[in-house]
Amino acid sequence: MTSTPEASLRRHTKAGMFMHWFNAACWLFLLCTGLGLIDNPELRPFGPGYPAALRGLFGGGGNLLLAHWLAALLWLAVWAGFIVFYLTRHVIPFLRQVAAIQVRRDLEWMLKKQIQMMLGYRLMAVLVKPLGWDGSLPEQEYYNAGQKLAAQGIIAGALVLVATGLLMLASKYLLGPGWASLVQWSITIHYLAALFTTVLLLVHVYMAAISREERPAFISMFTGKVPADYAKHHHKLWYDQAAGGDA
Amino acid sequence: MAVKLGMVIDAASCIDCKGCQAACKVANQVPDGHWRNWIKRGDEEKAALDRQGLRFQPGNCMQCDKPTCVAACPTGATYKEAKDGVVRIDRELCIGCGQCLAACPYQARYRHPQLRVADKCDFCAERRAAGLQPACVDTCPTKARVFGDLNDPDSPAGRLLRGKASVQVVNQQSNTDPNLYYLGDPGPADWPVQAKMPTPWQFWKSLGGPALEALVGLTGLGVIAMYGRQLILGDHDQPPEHASGHPEGGDHDQHA
Repeated sequence: MTSTPEASLRRHTKAGMFMHWFNAACWLFLLCTGLGLIDNPELRPFGPGYPAALRGLFGGGGNLLLAHWLAALLWLAVWAGFIVFYLTRHVIPFLRQVAAIQVRRDLEWMLKKQIQMMLGYRLMAVLVKPLGWDGSLPEQEYYNAGQKLAAQGIIAGALVLVATGLLMLASKYLLGPGWASLVQWSITIHYLAALFTTVLLLVHVYMAAISREERPAFISMFTGKVPADYAKHHHKLWYDQAAGGDA
Repeated sequence: MAVKLGMVIDAASCIDCKGCQAACKVANQVPDGHWRNWIKRGDEEKAALDRQGLRFQPGNCMQCDKPTCVAACPTGATYKEAKDGVVRIDRELCIGCGQCLAACPYQARYRHPQLRVADKCDFCAERRAAGLQPACVDTCPTKARVFGDLNDPDSPAGRLLRGKASVQVVNQQSNTDPNLYYLGDPGPADWPVQAKMPTPWQFWKSLGGPALEALVGLTGLGVIAMYGRQLILGDHDQPPEHASGHPEGGDHDQHA
């Protein structure tokens, strides 16, 4: 079966696409307001101007904190709803796909993909051909190895952010002084977890929005569909399953 | 010169009547079991041998010039007011994490049990806004506490500070340059503790923060480098499969 250029496969549902963009908006807002909440002479990742400007914009540090909390609670509530309503349709299949690591194949993919990204296809063809590698990557499923690892990292980061964030929220409205040490660790870990997920999201944003090769994947987050050609090349195992089932 | 509010205190005048403590509690609605100010009691054995008698040392938050509490606050909820040097707490922003409590060598702070925020003396900000003196100063029957702008040589406190020998009560390991000055012998001087910075806070500043900030920076640089490479190579660099069937290599140039 050869696919025509117009042939496409459905990759995302409407609910999935909504969650993606809702998530993106929330993370961006929470990252910006969260960084503005850090204001200490010895820290200030962006100097004193950034927290001051943001506090001016929101009408004081207290309001900035409130906006951060309300956005976080909205994000959490929508996620809770999504998880409940789409547990079998989305959440469990997603987690299965994300967890489906095959060590040998995925390690090889990660290694070769890095070399390919660094050298580019043309240079790589010249350099690695003599070593007996034709430049192709191991076939991948619905998610490739990089996507799976990034997803696992972001899920772990999100869980840590939620736990530490709730502890800080509780400190103001619920907890007694006995929790001080845990709350203090929460502050530090919340910041570190936010930076950790930011690292993964930088790679994600590069891959999706900047890299030309992945442009069809970016567009699919609006249309829900990817060209069959793209699926065949990037997610062969998923393509065989999806297209094979349709044909 | 900027206004620098402080107190000049004569420990020899204090009679330990607790008037300042009671007035403060009422004026600032300080909850049960907590105090915003204090009177430290001298050594009675030493006093018995000493013709000067027993010393009482009134005190409160010293509105330090190098405040370790401000250094321990992640959000700036505790900050030093630029206009008068008073160390204030933004109750809306404070989440009561308690990092500032251990960081104060004078243990001048407590966590408000109902509001769950840090609390301490702010020289009666509300009374000052209404043109009044701090409650403890107003109520002191022997005028042991004198309040004012230490930078103004004509204020009551400024005059005393310039006219007489005075000392600060500090812990040598944590000299925060406090703005409470004591005339002559202040009485007990060995009670301030060493300022403690919480372990997670130290970890953030020394290791965790810099490491992850470097990682974010390196990743950002990597993304910029990849984008630059893409701009230079343009659309030429395509995976071989996109040439579908054709031998890869020279034929890519046809798209140029």
